[in-house]
Amino acid sequence: MSSVEDFLRENKPQVKEDPTFILEAQRRMVQVEGIKAEVDRQRSRGRVALIIALCGGLAIGVFATAITFLYPIDAQSSAEGLLRAARLYLQDYRQYLPMPVAILAITLAVVLFKRPARI
Amino acid sequence: MTQERFISEVRQQQEPLRRFLLALCAGDGALADDIAQDALVRAYVASGSFLGLSKFSTWLFRIAYNCYIDHCRKARPEKAPVEEARNLPGGDSSDKSFRYQQLYLALDRLPEKEKAAIALFYFEDRSIKEISSILDMPQGTVKYQLSMGRQHLKQYIQL
Repeated sequence: MSSVEDFLRENKPQVKEDPTFILEAQRRMVQVEGIKAEVDRQRSRGRVALIIALCGGLAIGVFATAITFLYPIDAQSSAEGLLRAARLYLQDYRQYLPMPVAILAITLAVVLFKRPARI
Repeated sequence: MTQERFISEVRQQQEPLRRFLLALCAGDGALADDIAQDALVRAYVASGSFLGLSKFSTWLFRIAYNCYIDHCRKARPEKAPVEEARNLPGGDSSDKSFRYQQLYLALDRLPEKEKAAIALFYFEDRSIKEISSILDMPQGTVKYQLSMGRQHLKQYIQL
């Protein structure tokens, strides 16, 4: 068995000198750095957009609450009025009701059975 | 780890790393260098997670071995036995060329784990413990792989 071991130790594979190897590695690392920087840029943009959305939501919420308190309305009578108007509308145009239902069904069928696009 | 530090570590390890992959690729120098470059990119991307619990070279060799295994999985259908000597050191006697040819042909016939264990133990002079962490297997298994590898090589190499 020692002869095999001696053979292996005496015949180690020899790599050719290649000065471009490290240069190529460095080039790839620069590319990796570029990708990392781009990813960081995208993340920070996403973070800014999220903060703007949160601030916007908060401002609109505060504004809506302030309006509600400043100009109170009778919510119950308004709701009843709306329901009554809806009921009258349905009674007047009930012959056209199957049309939106059919459109909805066709749209759902198209969306559900559409093949996903190949990327 | 900074880019400069990483490059300086890689400069020290490039020859052993390329030799290890050259043995795994049975003398195909171009393929070995491609895998080495992939391994360096992976190592660089993951260098932030290197905690220094093992030697840098052990960590790098482990990544390189994983890259090699990934390559084997992808290239398995096309894999053909080495028919000719590859990357033989130029200017050497025909006797030495013949020995390298024998070595690469024999290595090509070994299973991946045996080949990796043999390459690390005999060509890189790594300890069993280091080989165990590079190949992610218990030390007893490394010894078994080495023993099986030696037995197989004895059959394949004419001494």
